[in-house]
Amino acid sequence: MTKKTIEYEVSRTPELGMDFRPTEGVLSAAELPEPDFGSENMLINIGPQHPATHGVLRLVLELDGETVVRCVPHIGYLHSSFEKLGEYRDWNQIVPLTDRMDYLAPLIYNCVYVMAVEKMMGVTVTERCKVVRVICMELDRVFSHLLWLGTWAIDVGAFTPFLYAFQERERVYRLHDAFTGARITTSATRVGGMMADIPDGWAEGVRQFADTLPNTLDEVETLLSTNGIHLGRTQGVGVISGEDAINSGLSGPNLRASGVPYDLRKDRPYYDYETYDFEVPIGEHGDCYDRYLVRMEEMRQSCSLLHQALDRLPDGPINVDDPRVVLPSKTDCMNDMESMIHHFKLVMEGVKAPEGESYFAVEGSKGELGMYVVSDGGSKPVRWRVRPPSFVNLSAISKLVEGGLLADVIVVNASLDIVLGEIDR
Amino acid sequence: MTELVQSEPEGVGAHPTVPALREAFGDSILRHEVVAGDEHVVFVEPLRIVEILRWLKETPAHLYDFLSDVTAVDYGGGRPIQVVYQLYSIQHRWALRIKAELPISELEIDSVVPLWDAANWLEREVFDMFGVTFRGHPDLRRILMPETYAEGHPLRKDFPLRGRFTRAEQTRRALSREPKDYYIPADLEAGGEPQLVRWQETPEGPSEESNDR
Amino acid sequence: MSDDLKTSGSGLVGGLFGTGTPTFLTTKVDFVVNWARRNSLWPMPFGTACCAIEMMASAASDQDLARFGMERMAFSPRQADVLICAGRVPYKLAPVLRRIWDQMPQPKWCVSMGACASSGGVFDVYSMVQGIDTIIPVDVYVPGCPPRPEGLIYGLMMIQEKVRGESLTRHAEHRFEDPDQAGRPEADDEEVRALSGPFGNSTRQEESAGLVSEGGPATPRPLIP
Ligand code: SF4
Repeated sequence: MTKKTIEYEVSRTPELGMDFRPTEGVLSAAELPEPDFGSENMLINIGPQHPATHGVLRLVLELDGETVVRCVPHIGYLHSSFEKLGEYRDWNQIVPLTDRMDYLAPLIYNCVYVMAVEKMMGVTVTERCKVVRVICMELDRVFSHLLWLGTWAIDVGAFTPFLYAFQERERVYRLHDAFTGARITTSATRVGGMMADIPDGWAEGVRQFADTLPNTLDEVETLLSTNGIHLGRTQGVGVISGEDAINSGLSGPNLRASGVPYDLRKDRPYYDYETYDFEVPIGEHGDCYDRYLVRMEEMRQSCSLLHQALDRLPDGPINVDDPRVVLPSKTDCMNDMESMIHHFKLVMEGVKAPEGESYFAVEGSKGELGMYVVSDGGSKPVRWRVRPPSFVNLSAISKLVEGGLLADVIVVNASLDIVLGEIDR
Repeated sequence: MTELVQSEPEGVGAHPTVPALREAFGDSILRHEVVAGDEHVVFVEPLRIVEILRWLKETPAHLYDFLSDVTAVDYGGGRPIQVVYQLYSIQHRWALRIKAELPISELEIDSVVPLWDAANWLEREVFDMFGVTFRGHPDLRRILMPETYAEGHPLRKDFPLRGRFTRAEQTRRALSREPKDYYIPADLEAGGEPQLVRWQETPEGPSEESNDR
Repeated sequence: MSDDLKTSGSGLVGGLFGTGTPTFLTTKVDFVVNWARRNSLWPMPFGTACCAIEMMASAASDQDLARFGMERMAFSPRQADVLICAGRVPYKLAPVLRRIWDQMPQPKWCVSMGACASSGGVFDVYSMVQGIDTIIPVDVYVPGCPPRPEGLIYGLMMIQEKVRGESLTRHAEHRFEDPDQAGRPEADDEEVRALSGPFGNSTRQEESAGLVSEGGPATPRPLIP
């Protein structure tokens, strides 16, 4: 297991953080007796329509002065019943639902869903498809982290990184657009392969993106990593120990920032991730600043992964040669009756999955993203369950903010990188 | 390492934990299945679920310390609802799925929140969607649907996709809810016990004029 | 002071066209007011799901909504002119949306962005509002799933067109909303059915098959238990 500890360019000295409390003189906090105002705690409601809650999260906070005594999150304001809807859709028809679930990293969701179904059906995809999916997943990891970077910066009080991040995101949008025809709702995968092979020149576009993204990250890092306000607002805020983090089910960058080297790409490798050369950044303090550093480093690692995957992109078919799942070619359909009937049946009845079930998890951009599919032999699932990483991550928020200050709630919430579409499903 | 899970030959006992589990709990381990090639599913006696999961979590040789998921499956047709626990051992890199079957007439099982905090919201979601009651859960409320949702538990097979009420009725109900209804002041009183709020349809229904504006 | 700007005998300041030129323009009040309104619309982003990301993209570097006078996103409904409802609206969120609309001062407009907000989209399910027009009045629907930023900008320009054609004298009449009805559905049962019908038409099939019940009257829970 390769571990990597982030080298701090900045020493974590308290002087660097912003501390405005007078330490001596008449106002010295230590000398004043604790005033007793006999005050009551205050209830404050944030959301569900609040720009800093990243969607429609609602937090009810009980405050003692500025200190958060209790935090009760309310979710469900975006409950779109994906899982119920999935029970009324064919296996392939579910793909468009998956990218509407996490619209920050749609391709990862597309991929992991079909990977779970393929595992249940015992379909092995082609080598080319594997590499293309790896490219898709790494591209969208960057895509999602970039949005996190922009909103994170806004939440700690900086606006410029948002514009930088969105400039880079526009480039990913264009790549999505060129490959799948849509900017966000990609629906790029099908059981047994992709909806199409990658278009000409796309690989070069991705390579160029991976080449130049680190420059932008450098620029953003000069803005944030040593910025006094940023450090003061994030260091030592929202700390969670590794043990607590595991107990609370945190995964992904949030868990790794607490020092637990659990990354599914290394621990339960899929799609030959064990043969790629990359490192998993690990934090040591488990605070917001470490989560920031871990994500920044992850983006760089993803760029290197993108290069490696592009280098090994093999030729060959993108879809498996398995008539159970893959449509016959258009030419065949037009010219021969068998293929046409086959095409008709596959489209009208849908792919049929044998009885069984499967849980398949990958390292999504937010954490362990699992899909649990159960089939009774028909063309529709009995149950399609998503193991939602940000749902579980968010459930720890009370623990992270209680005892902290009100202003830190926003920072902690931003550092968890949640996406409400997937929390509420 | 990972090969243990990924490529060992199938068959009962291939998983390192299952024989030990059988030894420790005997008849409470009802069945063992291997699905999708390498995924091991163990059906256990629902009454002993906490005991079994605690053993799995704390026995040093197994250490399933990461609870990935708690969910449920309803196969419909009055068949029992399965509560599914996805476990993972970060140290050993083993995965295991534990299932407990609950008859539809008696959907109650002990909560595993004392073992993992992660189970808190996951169990609330199962309660909301399937109506499975978790005994000993600290705060068993609906989580995704509004607290006053009166149409039932949506992920049950007998629940129609578009709900039981008409759209007009659903809209009216939604708008007659005040956003601040979801405050639970008693829940927020400092040091107070979280209050269990359960929606119950009032038998005769409230007076008509209360909502006919 | 130069020569041609000398004060004339009548006390008028010399203008560009010589002494005594009137320093005013005649125009219609409607035109000026609408011109001002239309070029400084403050949108209130009510973003919930995927469409909100596209809304962010249209406000960010590449598309830059600020070009059209929407420099300032108003995150408070009290200071907003246009409600952009971007994304899915479940029934749980419906009272929130309605309240935000009620909190916005007149004159106000509403853009429904995306298939979900306009009609429920693919989510013809138990938890979703089938089109926000069953809850609040909508001025412009932007189709797409999600609409591209260009689409949203076009939709907002349609709002500007709409503003251009409005008249102050008839404003109260056009935009009247009964304050007693605040927080209540705009549409009655029949209208909701008609509105959600063409999209959620499967509801009707289920109705005729007797699969849905009308349900009892709504019962708000007492605020303090
Ligand atoms: S219209 Fe499409 S993109 Fe917009 S919220 Fe709905 S599903 Fe998402």
